[in-house]
Amino acid sequence: MSAQTAARPGEQGAPGRAASHQGRAGAQDPYALRRRPPLYRRRTRAAWGFALPFVLLFLTFTAGPVLMSLAMAVTDIRSRDLRNPLAVEFTGLANFQAVLADPLFRKAAANTAYFVLVGVPLTLALSLAIAVVLNAGITRAKTFFRVGYYMPVVTSIVAVAVVWRFLLHPDQGMLNEVLGWFGIEGPNWLQSTTWAMPAMIAMATWRSIGTLIIIFLAGLQSVPTSLHEAAALDGAGTWQRFRYITVPTLRPTLLFGAVITGIGYVQFFEEPFVMTQGGPLNSTLSVAFQTYNQFGFGNYGYAAAMSYVLFLAVVLLTLVQFRLLGDRDEKPRRRRRRTATVVANKEIGR
Amino acid sequence: MTRHTTRLMRLGVAATATALVLAGCGRGDGDGGAGEPAEATAVDEGAASGTIEVWAMGTEGEALGDFAQAFMDEHPDITVNVTAVPWDAAHDKIATAIAGGQTPDVSMIGTTWMGEFAATGALDPTPDLIDSSSFFEGAWETTNVGGTNYGVPWYVETRVLYYRTDLMPEAPTDWDGLTAAAQGAMDAGATYGINLQPGQTGAWQTFMPFAWQAGAEIVNEDATEFTFDTPEFVEALAKYQSFFTEGLAPTDLPQGSLEPDFMAGKIGSFVSGPWHVGILRDLDEAGMANVALAPLPAGAEEASFIGGANLAVFTDSEVRDAAWTFVEWLSQPETQVAWYGEVNDLPSVASAWDDPAIADDEYLGVFGEQLQTAVAPPSIPTWEEVASVIDTELERLCKSGADPQEVATAIQQQASSIGTGL
Repeated sequence: MSAQTAARPGEQGAPGRAASHQGRAGAQDPYALRRRPPLYRRRTRAAWGFALPFVLLFLTFTAGPVLMSLAMAVTDIRSRDLRNPLAVEFTGLANFQAVLADPLFRKAAANTAYFVLVGVPLTLALSLAIAVVLNAGITRAKTFFRVGYYMPVVTSIVAVAVVWRFLLHPDQGMLNEVLGWFGIEGPNWLQSTTWAMPAMIAMATWRSIGTLIIIFLAGLQSVPTSLHEAAALDGAGTWQRFRYITVPTLRPTLLFGAVITGIGYVQFFEEPFVMTQGGPLNSTLSVAFQTYNQFGFGNYGYAAAMSYVLFLAVVLLTLVQFRLLGDRDEKPRRRRRRTATVVANKEIGR
Repeated sequence: MTRHTTRLMRLGVAATATALVLAGCGRGDGDGGAGEPAEATAVDEGAASGTIEVWAMGTEGEALGDFAQAFMDEHPDITVNVTAVPWDAAHDKIATAIAGGQTPDVSMIGTTWMGEFAATGALDPTPDLIDSSSFFEGAWETTNVGGTNYGVPWYVETRVLYYRTDLMPEAPTDWDGLTAAAQGAMDAGATYGINLQPGQTGAWQTFMPFAWQAGAEIVNEDATEFTFDTPEFVEALAKYQSFFTEGLAPTDLPQGSLEPDFMAGKIGSFVSGPWHVGILRDLDEAGMANVALAPLPAGAEEASFIGGANLAVFTDSEVRDAAWTFVEWLSQPETQVAWYGEVNDLPSVASAWDDPAIADDEYLGVFGEQLQTAVAPPSIPTWEEVASVIDTELERLCKSGADPQEVATAIQQQASSIGTGL
């Protein structure tokens, strides 16, 4: 992907000249490439030399395990085969069929879909709103707020879980206490099949808005003030300016935010692991959690198949997001995507 | 585009090749591992020497190193090297060690993991050096996987009834008595008469005593089939459910509320293991005057759950003789009493309970009595998975009022599809 994006600007830079140049040199080019001058060869060798450490590490620790897990997914390997991992039967797609027919997996998939479909939009909307407010309204204590919102991201989930369990306690919890002031009797959050999942969503949202706010704040810096001023002169209200100037300019950033949040949320695991153990009545059991359980039970082949199903779900969700948030218009799309990558790199670098 | 296609084809070829290699391997017919009884070889204690690598979890891991000094004084040729492993990581660490062929010589193993690890063939069958009759029967059964015993029980724990004497003047002795006592506690001002775990991880440990008391069994004689769908099992489910439907037990007690509520007299009784004595004492030393322990009330028979940890020697051990000598030393009654003094682990050897250090304790006697009738779940490789099914189904029974017969059928059906793994 990066190679393609890097190649494109060149082609695009001067379409007219490039085309005519290619027309004339078209017959020579393949010949020149095939001959491969010594300098070219030496450079290639040097390049591979520099890339080698990474390639080796990647093959050993990333590609290797991935291929191995794929091999596991098509066998009936269980914990009893630990000493002779090769003495297993090849079962083809039987594991995948079993996974899709497993009622518990379906329940987990439905829970995960619920979590993602409610959680991702909620997280995006909330962090965008906060970012806009921080960007526009508050100037003096900006750093204070940024740190405040980012704090949950860097806090250990184990510590967070203890605090949230206190907050959500049905009798002594702060949440139900506050609800009580308004005459609402709060539910027993973590023990209710209806309310446990919303509690998980709230917790996950609270934990992940910090990162998104920082990303959106960076994106908001790139919205030209001149556009806002021009629109204001034309009589556009605050909402209209937000809707027709901020959001479209921010689209690549939004896409990036949606994709990383989506990927994180599909693999929803930590919250139920520390808070509910998937209960009550499996209402917070997620696909990742169920996979973890199956690995724990020693059903390695079955669990590997399950994790590939989850992987496919991540790919699908990301494709859908690109469809929805990416532009349909051909030309500007390239430019905007490039901006998205730049923003992303900058943020990850921090 | 074409380049992509080529790459895809290459990947496809690689995958097919891998698949063929795997298919070529196949599972042999005779490698049943734990399926058939294995023979134990004798241990030559006299020639035992070398360095024993021992893994132990939790408090045991921290204390065993110093404790083993006494053994090394007795056996100057043997060095014991203890590695402490955290409980959370222990299961995976042992599994990885077996997969990599880098096992220690001796390891502490949770009783419910025995089936799984023994099935890999990594554990050494227990030799005659160990006297099986010295252990509590329930504890010894935890080492029995498919007819062969692997390792020895190291320490045990069992579940008894904790009750408040001010709310329940007398300990109930049978099922009807338990219901009546729970009702009585509520009449005397408690919010709930009893606390029983309504599902979630480990609930089977509270429920299975009821099933065993009713006369139900988890598997048939040779551990090939599950027997959950029996009138006895359904009877136990119905009894367990009745505490929730009659409002005697809470279905949604928040985590961490049990101990303070019990000490405050809001909960009349609960079922738990020996560790709760310490927890309650730390919470309210003076309040212990109102707390008493009793064996679980009997149904058709008496029963409780037995847990704890075993010690196993690995087949790959190069110092097998020394390893078994060490394990044998740890299961001598005197060593077990000394070990109790060190970390409060209840001895798995019955005669160790006659020692005044244990016999004179006001609470421990009840556990000793209960251990005589305590039962262990079968040591089958798939037990953890089956147990999680029971946990989930129990939750349905207690919280959504599912029909006991239907729950029994559901457990039976899911357990059968999982299989015993032997």
